[in-house]
Amino acid sequence: MIPDRVLNILIRIFFPITYINHEIFILNRQVIWMSKTYEQINERIRSGKAVVYTAEEVIDLVRSKGAEKAAEEVDVVTTGTFGAMCSSGAFVNFGHASPPIRMTDIRLNEVVVDGGLAAVDTYIGATATAQGKTGGYGGAHVIEDLIAHKRIHLQATGPGTDCYVRRDIDTWITIDDINDAFLFNPRNCYQNYSIATNTSSRTIYTYMGKLLPKMKNASYSSAGQLSPLLNDPHLATIGMGTRIFFGGGEGYVTWPGTQYKTNVEEVNGVPVAGARTLALIGDMKQMDPKYVRGLDITGYGVSMAVGVGVPIPILNKDIMERCAISDDMIFADMVDYSQPTDRPPMARYSYSQLRSGRVEYQGKTIRTSALSSYHGAREIANKLKDWIEHGEFLLNQPVMSFPKDIKLNKLQERRC
Amino acid sequence: MDRKYKIEFEEANVQESVAYILVSEFDLKPNVLKAEISADGSGIMIVSLVGDDAKLDTAVDRLRQEGFVVNEMVKHISRDEALCWNCGACISICPVGTFSFDEKTWEVLLDNSKCISCGACLNACSVHALDLHI
Repeated sequence: MIPDRVLNILIRIFFPITYINHEIFILNRQVIWMSKTYEQINERIRSGKAVVYTAEEVIDLVRSKGAEKAAEEVDVVTTGTFGAMCSSGAFVNFGHASPPIRMTDIRLNEVVVDGGLAAVDTYIGATATAQGKTGGYGGAHVIEDLIAHKRIHLQATGPGTDCYVRRDIDTWITIDDINDAFLFNPRNCYQNYSIATNTSSRTIYTYMGKLLPKMKNASYSSAGQLSPLLNDPHLATIGMGTRIFFGGGEGYVTWPGTQYKTNVEEVNGVPVAGARTLALIGDMKQMDPKYVRGLDITGYGVSMAVGVGVPIPILNKDIMERCAISDDMIFADMVDYSQPTDRPPMARYSYSQLRSGRVEYQGKTIRTSALSSYHGAREIANKLKDWIEHGEFLLNQPVMSFPKDIKLNKLQERRC
Repeated sequence: MDRKYKIEFEEANVQESVAYILVSEFDLKPNVLKAEISADGSGIMIVSLVGDDAKLDTAVDRLRQEGFVVNEMVKHISRDEALCWNCGACISICPVGTFSFDEKTWEVLLDNSKCISCGACLNACSVHALDLHI
């Protein structure tokens, strides 16, 4: 099969001006019509002329002018999300001490971090805790403290080898004196997520927060109309190499996130449950601890709130239309977290209903709580908008698009 | 509008009826929000009182004469603003609506006057920003 890039070169050779003011390119063997190109948008960003809206602000514009006109006017729509993302963590290289040690058992502020990499490399898992602990201060807090330039207590032991003679070390480090520190989050930006409630007669403590007995409350986690993957639901513009706002600095989309799936029911063109996800990377030395927060979720453990903002280039009318989605058009199913396994959908609510603070279920009022900060999501979308408007942030065209047809596998329990 | 008080008692007055004094002598409407008695006979009671302001003040003096330690609770729930990240997890936990979203800014608002000191929100906060002072 002819690769996309060869087809794209052929198009450029045979159709130098494809259509007045329009370009086409092939992505994932689909023809993408662009009324604007990435290069044109970046040129406008560089000259300070780019028209940028947040995913919230653009809703009214598209409603009043229509998607076609809005697409001509708007260059970029910025999105944002700031919620708990457990599948997060950081790669760190401490630098070598003299004499050097091959660290195999490593603690940072007592938190157990990975000792399975090279001599002075580690991965700090966000949910890691101190030995024997299940919550409290964990890996996410270490990451937050590193970003905040605080001193971190490093204790490590190793086997002692001919090339790494030392067997233990006890010192204090900061992000400024270690070589590398980058967040690498295997799964962030979940595209929608179920609403959690509890039908049982006792309070349960879950990763969806504290759920009171007899459906007194329910919690939801998506930023809805501001959420990155709900504004570009089929990833027409988001792929490997997309430059993003990540924890207050610049980061990149590296890969489809873990548990990425596409076979989820859609309403108004967006999934009603968890579907696509993103794996993200970014330099921690650029980040702001305000947007990378350690969370201690009672009864569950440690997690990390990560601020992510994804810019969506308005290449055509279709992309514009998708960005105009509003909370009343995005739905999620409520499920019962007191059930250990099967959790069939009990009811479906829109994000505007959820955000109102209460929903009705069989004549009963259920109070709702968010687990991600909409205030933070909006702040991130606005910050990214500001960067782009000031010519400080250019858009990257993805070098690889993400799968269109992926299902999740269940873990098989076999005897051999 | 109610006012909330913390009443501390000892073994010597644990059997006195605070509520009866408040109702019969001062025509106040008491609502006991919390009461705890320790093994040594001492304890605390948190009571919300509705009634005439002047009468409330004399009632408090009267209880003090009886040997109760009475303190009005004004900022019994506090939040470390530097820690709060405005997620809103506390909102649905509170039975009386102490927390709510500001629908313009989506910041989480805290209304101390509604708080009944149950403490249910404390362990719902993932950044330990909330504290109860009783």
